[in-house]
Amino acid sequence: MSLLEINNVSKIYGELHALDKVSLKVEKGEWVAIMGPSGSGKSTLMNIIGCMDRPSEGEVLMDGIDIAKMNQKELTLIRRDKIGLVFQQFHLVNYLTAVENVMLSQYYHSIPDEKEALEALDRVGLAGRARHLPSQLSGGEQQRVCVARALINYPEIILADEPTGNLDEANEKIIMDLFHNLHNEGTTLIVVTHDPEVAQTAQRTLFLRDGKLVRETVNENFTGEIKYEDWTENK
Amino acid sequence: MFGRMIKGILTRQWKKMLMIGLTIALGASLATAMLSVMLDVGDKINQELKAYGANIIVSPQEASVIEDLYDVEGGDKATKAYLREDELSKVKTIFWAFNIVDYSPFISTSVKLDDGSEVKLTGSWFNHHLELATGETLDSGIRNMRSWWDIEDGDWIDEQGSGAEGECMVGTELAKKLGISVGDSLHVTGNASAADLTVKGIFDAGGDEDEYIFTTLDTAQAIGGLDGKVDTIEVSALTTPDNELSEKAAKDPGSLTIKQYETWYCTAYASAICYQLTEVITDSTAAPVRQVASSEGAILDKTELLMGLIAVLSMVGSALGICNLVTASVMDRSREIGLMKAIGAQNSSIILQVITEILITAAIGGAAGFAAGIGFAQIIGQTVFGSSIALRTMVIPIVIVAVLAITLIGCIPAIRQLLKLSPTEVLHE
Amino acid sequence: MQKKRKWFFRMAFASLLRRKSRMLIALLAIVVGATILSGLVTVYIDVPRQMGAEFRNYGANVIFTSKDGTALTIEEINDGLSNVNSSQIVGMTPYRYETVRINQTPVTAAGTDMSSVLKTSPYWSVDGEIPDKDGEILIGATVAQNYNLQVEKSISVTFTPEEVAEEAVAFDNGDEAAEGETSTSDVVLDNYIDFKITGILNTGGAEENYIYMSLEDLEELTQIPTTISLAEVSISASGSDLTAVVGSINQNSENVSAKVVKRVTASETTVLGKLQALILLVTIIVLALTMITVATTMTASVTERRREIGLKKALGALDGEIIKEFMGEQVLLGGFGGLIGTILGFLFAQLISVNVFSSSIVFRPVLLPLTIVISMAVTAVACLIPIRNATEIEPALVLKGE
Repeated sequence: MSLLEINNVSKIYGELHALDKVSLKVEKGEWVAIMGPSGSGKSTLMNIIGCMDRPSEGEVLMDGIDIAKMNQKELTLIRRDKIGLVFQQFHLVNYLTAVENVMLSQYYHSIPDEKEALEALDRVGLAGRARHLPSQLSGGEQQRVCVARALINYPEIILADEPTGNLDEANEKIIMDLFHNLHNEGTTLIVVTHDPEVAQTAQRTLFLRDGKLVRETVNENFTGEIKYEDWTENK
Repeated sequence: MFGRMIKGILTRQWKKMLMIGLTIALGASLATAMLSVMLDVGDKINQELKAYGANIIVSPQEASVIEDLYDVEGGDKATKAYLREDELSKVKTIFWAFNIVDYSPFISTSVKLDDGSEVKLTGSWFNHHLELATGETLDSGIRNMRSWWDIEDGDWIDEQGSGAEGECMVGTELAKKLGISVGDSLHVTGNASAADLTVKGIFDAGGDEDEYIFTTLDTAQAIGGLDGKVDTIEVSALTTPDNELSEKAAKDPGSLTIKQYETWYCTAYASAICYQLTEVITDSTAAPVRQVASSEGAILDKTELLMGLIAVLSMVGSALGICNLVTASVMDRSREIGLMKAIGAQNSSIILQVITEILITAAIGGAAGFAAGIGFAQIIGQTVFGSSIALRTMVIPIVIVAVLAITLIGCIPAIRQLLKLSPTEVLHE
Repeated sequence: MQKKRKWFFRMAFASLLRRKSRMLIALLAIVVGATILSGLVTVYIDVPRQMGAEFRNYGANVIFTSKDGTALTIEEINDGLSNVNSSQIVGMTPYRYETVRINQTPVTAAGTDMSSVLKTSPYWSVDGEIPDKDGEILIGATVAQNYNLQVEKSISVTFTPEEVAEEAVAFDNGDEAAEGETSTSDVVLDNYIDFKITGILNTGGAEENYIYMSLEDLEELTQIPTTISLAEVSISASGSDLTAVVGSINQNSENVSAKVVKRVTASETTVLGKLQALILLVTIIVLALTMITVATTMTASVTERRREIGLKKALGALDGEIIKEFMGEQVLLGGFGGLIGTILGFLFAQLISVNVFSSSIVFRPVLLPLTIVISMAVTAVACLIPIRNATEIEPALVLKGE
């Protein structure tokens, strides 16, 4: 059984078919990229995978459970258990420190535990900046807090939407290396992007156009190795 | 383009603007209502205080002592001075005629009853109908000026009805003593003639008047042989509380400079009204009844001060509220303003735009609030005083200036903060 | 569970303390509302009492006379007053009236307690001073005019005792030509005292026809022990309260018959009632409008945080949790604002009281919880709607930036 199985999913807004009979499977531990130009439906697909939206038609099986017909509340419960989200615009709560932002996710999931949250920040190399507010952190650091927040509850899937879209090259590399680490630890990663370079780091890339899955490529060069080893020293 | 942006904000962001407009409207209505009430409360309470009766008494010159001082009734009639009944209408012709809400002449004479006892018979107006030269009409008399009387039995004498001349009202003490009740006939013998008076009502005045008989002016004059004569005139006037000037004037109007005299004469001080009354009534002196006049002054002053302070508090409160909300809503737009900066907008043009939007909203909200405020003032007036609150023209400019000033002041902290923002900071957030 | 609760407050305080300017705006709105609430309510409660005191300016509202129509004694009057709560008694002035003579002509003299007349007749206007020693006298304006009397001058007041009154007639008649200061030597049988005039009394009423001296002087002049004709009493009560007080005096005291001065009391009840209604209505309108202003500001301050709400939803917060969090934070703020507002409101009421009525007011502890609870309630209601609206929006939409 696949971790995520999408069968004939459509999302229709009036006349517009944002998604048109899309089917795909993601196995546990896989690293998948979803590519496509603006308006291709990748955001809609991501919202559906992220349990933030429901399809108009079709079924979405997560661990064998169909979430397509669930109501908002049930979706929320699934989301907080199984999904870790990383956004392009980071979306940190601006009045909470780095560690508190991580704890926020714990709070909604189960119980806030500062020690565990600090460990997560340590994993992304931010142990020293745990008490800083988002406004005191650089963009790259903010995104690393987001990654720590996404992985704190050991989600089945980490879903990242343009995770490097707002970052410079150095920080982009840091984030991608973090993803490599996560992948090597066995975390399932789904990255939505329009940046081919980012997509290339994944095992598999799915191409969307006009709401349809048009192509799928497998990255034969995929090694799963960390390319930039010094990232923890980076500011 | 500028016009378009403004229009865009007002039409598409109307929900946010509605909130600001609503708050400004509330503030403006509060200011309007409170100012109107504050400015009118003096008149209203003054009107209510008329329940205490006359605050000015006009009496003949040099007459005052005789009866009280000598304590000898009926004696020295020849030396007693009177006012003239035919001059009564002149009371409503003085400079402050409009402020005279009620007045009533009194004539007293002692009469003998059948059992030989002597009682005081007072003639006065009850609800005397006056047609004034100005075309106004006024029902004046002790029905209003003795508002504290309890009519224990029967009713007031109705001068406008028929047969008032043969009627009288008897004080409760006297009625008890004589054992008479409403409808009985009372035979009285005065200096000039005797008459049979029908008891129309029995009143409890809670004072000396409980021992008196009251009848119409004509009847009392006929019985006492005092045709065309009046003892005193009680006047109930709306007055301005006394101050130094009026006290100085009360002692001697001659001591004032011409300018002071004019100010005094043209202000509704009790002493000024007294002075004007003596000008029109021959050989008279007029004095404020201090018990009523000075207390009135104190209560009016306090009430006005009280309402003034409440008005100030509530207006400061709503001003802060408006400032606050304007600040909050302008700050809320930091993203948009960051964007405008990023595409090259000058600080001045951003300020101009923000201010124009807010001012348009303020103008609409302020106008709506003004109308609502007048409504609130009327609700207060009708509920509390049973009459409407006059709208002073000075309220309009005050409210307009206040709304504009407060709105602009509300923009200042927000604008300062926005100008400090660098475009990247905002857009990156 | 404890950890969760601890976190809840940690987050609330973080939100309040680290979003300083926004928090201050919201706090300011609540403080203004709470100040107006507690201030106006205090004023509303206190005004009748304070205004009632102003109305005592009209003077005595109760008159004591004797039940049997004879005279009263000071003891009997005090016995009557013992039925009244002493804090309600503004003043009591006894009066004894006798007919005396100035220059052989009769004048009514009132013997009284000079130290208390201004309490029961605050409207008296005196040129000069009110007498404070024996041998001093206050002259009504009419009397002063008739006899051409002035302040600082002295005046001889005579009294004809009843037993010599008959004989005195003869002296009077024989003395008609001789006027003025020499009269005392002629009327040997009359008692007399030379008084110093300290003041001329203006009231615009009958008082101007009397002369006023101390009870002791009048006793000495008449050589008849002091009895009281009537006492004027000023009691700070109106309407049914006053009726009840007067009723209890009449019932419990032996010789005192208390009567309400209707002219003063009837009108007071009406005017005071209107004033109180006025302040009540003003308070209601001002409060309603202020609370709406507070509510709009709170609404704006929550609406501003839609993005945060969306994020929390995306992170897996249930609607109920978000409402609980935001409400908790805002209600905390409401409570704090209410606390500050209560204090400021009291200061405001005190300001009014001192400026308008020149007296201070007592803090009413019940206003503290009342103001805090109302502030919290208004904040809660004002925030509930925008929070609910925000939770209904799909998190994905909010996070996309719009």
